[in-house]
Formats: sequence, C-alpha cells, structure tokens
Amino acid sequence: MNSISLGAAAQSARSVGERALEHFLAAGFVRMEPPILHPAAVFLDMSGEEIRGRLFLTSGAAGEELCLRPEYTIPVCRAYLASDKSGKTAEYSYLGPVFRSQVEGGERAQTGLESFGRKDAEAADAEIFALSMEAAVDVGGPLAARLGDAGLFDSLLEALALQNVWRRRLRRGVAQGRSLFAILDGRGASALAQPGVLAALESADHAGAKALVEDLLAIAGIDAVGGRTAGEIADRFLEQAALRSGEPIDADKRKVLESYLAITGDPDDAASRLRRLADDAKLDLGRALDAFERRNGFIAARGVSIEETVFSAAFVRDFDYYTGFVFEARDPSRRDAKPALGGGRYDGLARRLGASADIPAVGAAITLDRLPNGSAR
Amino acid sequence: MASEVANAEAPFVLAVPSKGRLQESAAAFFARAGLELQQGRGARDYRGALTGLPGVEVAYLSAAEIVGQLAAGAAHFGVTGEDLLREKVPDADQRLELLAPLSFGRANVVVAVPQAWIDVRTMADLEDVASAFTARRGERMRVATKYVNLTRRFFAEHGVADYRIVESLGATEGAPAAGAAELIVDITTSGATLAANALKPLDDGIILRSQATLVASMGAPWEPAARASARAILDRIAASEEAQRTREVRARLPGAAQKIVETARERFGAVSATGDDADPQNFVALHCARADAAELANWLLSQGADRVSVAALEHVFDARNPLFERLEGRIGGGEGY
Repeated sequence: MNSISLGAAAQSARSVGERALEHFLAAGFVRMEPPILHPAAVFLDMSGEEIRGRLFLTSGAAGEELCLRPEYTIPVCRAYLASDKSGKTAEYSYLGPVFRSQVEGGERAQTGLESFGRKDAEAADAEIFALSMEAAVDVGGPLAARLGDAGLFDSLLEALALQNVWRRRLRRGVAQGRSLFAILDGRGASALAQPGVLAALESADHAGAKALVEDLLAIAGIDAVGGRTAGEIADRFLEQAALRSGEPIDADKRKVLESYLAITGDPDDAASRLRRLADDAKLDLGRALDAFERRNGFIAARGVSIEETVFSAAFVRDFDYYTGFVFEARDPSRRDAKPALGGGRYDGLARRLGASADIPAVGAAITLDRLPNGSAR
Repeated sequence: MASEVANAEAPFVLAVPSKGRLQESAAAFFARAGLELQQGRGARDYRGALTGLPGVEVAYLSAAEIVGQLAAGAAHFGVTGEDLLREKVPDADQRLELLAPLSFGRANVVVAVPQAWIDVRTMADLEDVASAFTARRGERMRVATKYVNLTRRFFAEHGVADYRIVESLGATEGAPAAGAAELIVDITTSGATLAANALKPLDDGIILRSQATLVASMGAPWEPAARASARAILDRIAASEEAQRTREVRARLPGAAQKIVETARERFGAVSATGDDADPQNFVALHCARADAAELANWLLSQGADRVSVAALEHVFDARNPLFERLEGRIGGGEGY
C-alpha cells in the first residue's frame, strides 16, 4: 500500500521533472547522468562538515568513505572535468534523485542545468536564470525570485581596502545571514591573552614576528609546530596586533557597508542606488556594476519580467564556491517555503575539484517537491 | 497488535559494562544500593542476575552496545558514559531518560590543539585560524576524533565551519604529531595524555563533562512487571543515595520536643526520622544533610539536650521516589495495563 503510493508520488515528480527537462533539452543542454556514488570528501571539502549529517555515507572495498550524491552540481562538474570537453564550452541538463538523510524516504527528485566554459558571463547567467525559472514556473506554478551578487560584494570589500581578516569575516558572516553588528561587534575583544606579545609586534614585520614566535616556542621547549608554520602563527599575531589598535573598521567604511547591505528591491532601482553609493563613497565598483546592469538587461531581454524579481545585496549564498550571480525562487503563497529553485555562478569550483585553472560555470537546480504544486506541502 | 500479546515473561534488562574499571565501578555502585550483580558462571558468560530481584536480567555489554540496546529499546536500564550517548544517539533526550549521574567514569570531551599554537586559546581563535588556513591553503583543517557528531554540533555552535573530520578509532591524540590532522577532539581525564602529545585543550573547548550515568530507555517494553522491577531498583538506589546524603541526629530534650522539631526544620531543613509527631518522652530523631549535622547537634545542645548522637545510615526509603517519578513522567502511569 505504502510503497505503491510512494511510487506514485515519485512517478508524478518524475513526469513533472521530465516536462521541466524538456525545456532544457530544447535549449541544447545535453542530458547527463552522472554517477550516484562519489567520494564523500568531495562534498565535505566543498560544503564543510555541517552537511555530513545529511549525507548517506558508505565505504568502498578499500575503506574509502563514499556517499550517495546529495546534489547534482558537483557530480556534473566532476563528470565534465573527466570528459574530453574539460575546459571547453559544454552545457548539460539532468534529472534524477538526490539523496539526503533528513528527507522522508531519503531521496528527492531534482532537475537542473549547468553551463561550463562560456566567456559571456552575464548572458550565460541570464540564460540559466531565465531558463530554469521558465521551466519551474511552467511545470510547478508561480515563483518569487530573489537575486544576489557575491562578486559585487567581493568587489566592494576589495574597494574598501579592508584587512584580510575582516574581508574573510564579512564574506562568511553575510553569507550566513548574520547582521553587520553581529559580525563586527558580536565577537568581543580579541581573545588573545598575550598583550605583551602583541605590543612587541605592533611595529614588527613578518620576519621579525616569525623570529619572535620561534624564540617563544624555543623557550617553551616546543618543537613540533603541528600543521601551521611559525610564519603562519607570526602572521596571525601581526593581524591581531593590527586589529588591537583602534576600531575594527572605520566609521565611514562601516556606513558604506550598512548602506550596501540594506539595498533591496527592483534590480534596476538597485543598480542606480548602487551607483550612487559607489559615487558618494568614491569607490571604484565600475566593472562590477557594469556587469550587474548588463545582466539585468539580458534577463529583461529573455522576457523574464524583472519587476517580479527582487535583488537583495545581502543575499550571498553560503557556499564558498559561488563567485558571482546567485539566485533562488520559492512558492510565494507560503511564507516558510524553502527554495524550490536555486543556483548561481561558481567559477571557482572546477579548480577546487582539481582543474588547473578556474573555469566559468553557472547552473541551477529545481527541487521538484518544493514547487507550489509539488507534493512536499 | 503485537505489543498486546507481548510476552509477560520477558525480563527486565539492565545493561552494564562488561569489562574494566567501568564494570567494577558499576558493580560497586549497585552493591552500595544493596543490589548484588551476579555474573553467570565462567568469565565468558555475558548474562547475569541481580540478587533478590528475580525479574531482572543483567546484560554485560561493551559501552557502544549498551548505547545501541538502550536506543533500540532492547534494554530497559543501562549504565554508560554520557559522551557515547550524546555521540551515538542524535535524539537522546527523546529516546532516553538520563536518570542519575553516577559520579564515576568522569572525563571531558575537549577540543585540543598543538601547544605550539600560542596564538590559539579559545574557539573564537580557532574559528579565525581555521578560516585563514582555508583561505591560505585551499584546504580545510583536519580534526581527528571519534566524536563526529559532538564535534559537528559544538563547532557549529561556535561558528567554526572550515574544518574536516578525520575519523579516528584509537590513539587520536597522536594524529597531529603523525601529520594526520591539525587538531583533535577527544576524551581526557587529567589532560596528561594531551600534554604528552604536545597538545593543549582550548579554554572554552569543553564539549561535554561526561560521567557514567544510569539511563532508562523510552523505547523498551514497559509492562507492569518491568515497571515493578524499575521501581524496585530505583527505590534501592534512592534509598542508598539518600542515606549517603543524610545523617541521623538523636537527642532527648528537657521540654516539649514539638517546637524543637519545627525549628530544626526551618533552620536546618531537618525532618523527623519517622515522620511522626514528636515523642511524648521528648526524644527526637532528625534526618538532616550530612554537612549540617554538626551544627544541628550543637544547636540541640544549646536547647538543653545533654547528649546528642549523630549516625550514618545504610538506607533511607521514602514513600516518594523522585527517580521513579521522573521515569513514570516519561513512560506514563501505566493505566492501560
């Protein structure tokens, strides 16, 4: 009884998925069926240990840790890199189950598309976004979309000339959805309880600091450094010493960050507000903003009504490998709806999977049971 | 359907460690409560009994098996370390009731880093160093541990995301020196093993203060006979625990004892040993906390007693048993049976 009804649900998800897939095939995205089994390390390295609890883990004959694919982007990217197309332009679609332990029944159907190697980044961004939205809305009902731009945020952090440590913390914190206050002020004073060391280092350079750390270790009789070099420890002391003197980020820069992260609304309005912000603060965001506007233009030209789409400057997907345009869409009739569609640009993934250089890439995935007419209500 | 015809003969299963110091300590704990563990004949017999409680079967199991049997409902009670419960049973608070900490097998699960990391003292430092490590090398720091789930939860609470777990099933503390990991999460009693491996615990890196714990399984079949066995075991444990905490103070007073008993309750939290009204002969026997006994005795002298005796107690049975009440609160009153 149970298995038949489950089978029926999977069946209907499949046929909805097949209809969505037809959109992708018609646009020239070749269907790919990557393996189900992968080394678990690939997903853990990319997404962190936090996903371990959601993976179906198993082990191979040699004891290596394997898992069932929890999503398609990494499997498709691996298959692309292993193929003779690696490094060249190639566009793929897929349809099938992904496996997550917290999902009822352990699997859910996804369909989606991935584009590799295209140099016209903004046009590719727009095509993937528009095509995935069209397919999802066609088979699943109306969706509300949210756009973000991880690349624009990175450009802002660079233009503000912030210290590395703050760039890192801001990027991570904003991706996790934390407030500026929580990121900048929430962590209390530097936990380092060696103000003497820090004071001694305030005017030191890398070599001096390294010598000091080596001396300290020698005095304490510690020889095994364990994973980090004396130079790395010295650099962190230098960083901390610099942070110790004065405010983490000066008030003007903080204000720019606040204004930036507060920008939300229609993408075209957002573009002009971003320009004004950059002009007022005398920040060179020209290239990133040009790209932003070009992409808006391409999306509009694709016929996706851009007024239905909200840009949010603070929306940066929480995966390190997203490097630019990001988007997601959900059932607008349910406030707690999880994204039924998500994607973005991930130029950095190929290299992290072993390619010798970054490869332009953008993709999107539709989780079929989260569509408005899907079964996960 | 099956549960209604459940075998009424099915024994109450008490799972205890099968070897080592934990086994000895568990046996001593039950013996103190007047419950003698009787292992089956021959050292290889893994079933036993509890003197005086014929409905109870003692299962001698490894620590990991005890956790598994409790989670699966195959054992009613078990003695095991909280570290393993929290690691192996994701919804431990739903499936189990931690009835009483047993004050042995104490150890902490801690985050430890190389001593050479003189710039790292707290989890906030670790978060910072881990994210810099990833940014610099394009790889995540490796954490060797057998406590995969505890580590994940604790690191997430502290916002540490840039790490990879390397599962380690023995000699975890050697992993950093062997180059297999940068840091570890492991159990430690004194920290001596950490120090011997040039590691140090982080100041706020204590994930769990663990000790051996008496645990009840919510999934076990709680038929009337099983409830009766649980009640009998918990009554004796409560009686011996109460006795250890308590001293009996006796004296004869020159005048009416009633007022003395009332004042002793207010000032020392003492209760009359028999629960009755004061003796017409003005003889009082009071139970009070061990630490208050001397003061109470002095006070009785000041109230005119000639001689006050303070005695240790073997067992104190009470009509109310908070341990069993807690269990009953979870498994229900059993009206359906």
